[in-house]
Amino acid sequence: MNNLQRIQPPVYPAEKVIIPKAKSIRLNNGIPLYLIEAGTEDIMRLEFTFRAGQVKENIPLLSSTCNMMLSEGSQNFSSEELNRSLDFYGVFLNQSAEKDSAGIVLYFLNKHIEKVLEFSHEILFRPVFPEAELNALMKKRLRWYMVNREKVQNLAMDSFFESIFGRHHPYGYQIHEHDFEKITPGVLSDFHSKFYTPENMAIIISGKIHSQTADLLNSHYGHIVLKSLNNEAFVNLPASEKLKKIHVEKSGTVQTAIRIGSMTINKRHNDYPGLKVLDSILGGYFGSRLMKNIREEKGYTYGISSSLSSLDLTGYKVISTEVGQKYCQKTIEEIYREIRLLQSVPVKKEEMDVVRNYMSGEMVRMFDGPFALAESFKSAWEFGLDNNYYYSLAEKIKTVTPDEIIELAKTYYKIDDLYEITVGSE
Amino acid sequence: MCPVQTLTLNMANKCHHILYLYLGMINYKRFLLENGLKVLVHEDKSTPLIAMNILYDVGSRDEDPSMTGLAHLFEHLMFGGSVNIPDFDTPLQLVGGENNAFTNNDITNYYLTIPSENIETGFWLESDRMLELDFSQKNLDTQKSVVTEEFNQRYLNQPYGDALLKLRPLAYKVHPYRWPTIGMDMAHIRNTNIDQIKKFFFSHYAPNNAILALTGNIDYDLAYKLTQKWFGPIDNRPMKVRNLPAEPDQTEERILTIENEVPSTALYKVWHIGARKSHDFYTLDLITDLLAGGESGRLHTKLVREKKLFSEINAYITADIDPGLIFIQGKLMKGVDIQNANNSVNDVINSLLNYNGIHEEIEKVKNKFESSTVFSNTSILNKAANLSFFELLGDPGLINDEVQSYRSVTYEMITEAVKRYFTSSNCSTLNYISTRKE
Repeated sequence: MNNLQRIQPPVYPAEKVIIPKAKSIRLNNGIPLYLIEAGTEDIMRLEFTFRAGQVKENIPLLSSTCNMMLSEGSQNFSSEELNRSLDFYGVFLNQSAEKDSAGIVLYFLNKHIEKVLEFSHEILFRPVFPEAELNALMKKRLRWYMVNREKVQNLAMDSFFESIFGRHHPYGYQIHEHDFEKITPGVLSDFHSKFYTPENMAIIISGKIHSQTADLLNSHYGHIVLKSLNNEAFVNLPASEKLKKIHVEKSGTVQTAIRIGSMTINKRHNDYPGLKVLDSILGGYFGSRLMKNIREEKGYTYGISSSLSSLDLTGYKVISTEVGQKYCQKTIEEIYREIRLLQSVPVKKEEMDVVRNYMSGEMVRMFDGPFALAESFKSAWEFGLDNNYYYSLAEKIKTVTPDEIIELAKTYYKIDDLYEITVGSE
Repeated sequence: MCPVQTLTLNMANKCHHILYLYLGMINYKRFLLENGLKVLVHEDKSTPLIAMNILYDVGSRDEDPSMTGLAHLFEHLMFGGSVNIPDFDTPLQLVGGENNAFTNNDITNYYLTIPSENIETGFWLESDRMLELDFSQKNLDTQKSVVTEEFNQRYLNQPYGDALLKLRPLAYKVHPYRWPTIGMDMAHIRNTNIDQIKKFFFSHYAPNNAILALTGNIDYDLAYKLTQKWFGPIDNRPMKVRNLPAEPDQTEERILTIENEVPSTALYKVWHIGARKSHDFYTLDLITDLLAGGESGRLHTKLVREKKLFSEINAYITADIDPGLIFIQGKLMKGVDIQNANNSVNDVINSLLNYNGIHEEIEKVKNKFESSTVFSNTSILNKAANLSFFELLGDPGLINDEVQSYRSVTYEMITEAVKRYFTSSNCSTLNYISTRKE
């Protein structure tokens, strides 16, 4: 025992990821239902997703307010009754509105599925948008907004989105105080009737699926009448602003928030898996170049990262950090230096091995358990993709070459194309 | 059997026993190495991963008042290389692993997940940093800077970020809980030297001061074999004896009012409670759920929805091992008088003494607690962290008793606890006043 050699044990390659296939069926009225069987406990995650995100709104805050107001009173129940009942059955309800989609996710014990289906139907299809609740919500949201606008990271992200997507596009426009006064019950119910419709939705259920699960969903949701409205008005494409460097002065701050990035390709593009690997090398994990350089070598920050995100109309990449004020310029220079290195010097085999294996491990985590599986399913399905997207990502992680990384960095990280936002006090 | 309930909101007096769950027991095995390392193993073959959690019985309460923040700084140093391994993260990433750690008042907890075929790398890494760190000056200097930026990011550069820094020394006068885990003064961090770091390591980091939990796709026999192989050869060490000053009973109300350039006024209130293992811990936990659990909690319903005094309000108890606190904190709506807000909070607390309707609410929070426990225990990481923490409390089996302990709280226990703890002489209040003109 005492002469144990403390050297790294053998490294085994990650086993090939096998992703359980979602069972795809249609309810009687055509609503797509996806069932994902996983896990050992008798629990479920049920998601209703609608093409009802910000991109569909014609005034700011409409999509998110409509989503938040769903549980604020329905034809048969007050908001208090809805909330109390869901809590009583131990149900966790998450409402969310993102850039493209909006909806609700419910987590619950299987035994309560009938209650959950009844209440979710009230929430999704019979909301009444009461004026008193709306006014109270908008006053609260204004308070939250005022607090959030004190944080440099929020100001920086808002300014970044405005710059890369344009000040007139729903992906990009910033919220102002007066926007909180414009939402009325009328515009909410109009938005709701256009976008919270059976033809605009899908249901994803994961966990321990029972033989009657699909029938139950059909009996609660399969009879809703389709409206056959044509909602696909013309598509307004995001267009970046001209000004690439923006500093927002925020006095009294001790750290400066930095955001550097631009619009880029999304998951539907063939280069996307390779770009994911490049993004990881640059700033996508704890061992990334930015983290090693800016935090672990120089101690300028508590954290720095880069990320790559897909939207329906486009995609974007962004490098994010908050640094001590006096390190701001040095950090920005180092970020560009790291990008230039990736454009000119091939990544060594050792580093490629680490990132390949780390990402392969991440893929195992992405498909571990019913909740992770449902989220991964959705984030491919939304782009019209299926498990083959993940299999090709897994393949790319193993095979992408250092030369390809250089080409990707040259194509997608042109320094002149990048937007640079700083928020802090100069 | 109860008949299937129709959709109804009048749930009081229904047959609540149908809501009782069969809770999947978390089976585990436990062993002790000769050097004092305690080990827990829970097999869950539904996942390809293994979670490995190591809890060290050291937190910010163990610090010298003139060197606060050391336990947390130390957590950062644990990633900077150990005696045989220059860098912790890279070899772990090379086998597809991911890790992190946290420090609180009581413990320092390190955890990783790793695809099961490579679990031995986890043993190699964790045992080496238990054996000895490499104590590099360069790493210490960098991490001092990183921790200072962390302090700036979390406490100085956020609105209300300093509230807890003010509140702790108001509530605690003697006990080390009076300073935050990050440290009461960044000068303490700046002044730390390598010798102090070494001393801290050898008086707090050792197999006899640690608990290892392994959960997920691992057999007990393999866990036992690998633990013996990698941790067995590490000698136990004499640990610093914990001898903390007890916080004297608070005898009069404490109020601190500060002004700051924030968007709205905020109210923070805390009351002293017993230790984590005291008999009424779950009663108090349940009380905070009645007050603030979910959208239908009383504080939210009364003060946010009905009276519109607050834009948000929350209540919770600290799960500190030594006597802790109940927290209530909220942000006021524009134009609301802080005294009015404060009185309304007290009214809501006192409303718990009123029998009307409370039984249905008690049943509701019990159901929610049960559901939330089941969800939490679907994660191998949560199971590993919980098993370790309950082992530290003296019995890992508590992981399977929590729901029952919570369920056994009665209305009488609740009223007794409300009367005992929510007194003004036991309360500290921080009025965080906005100076902003609107």
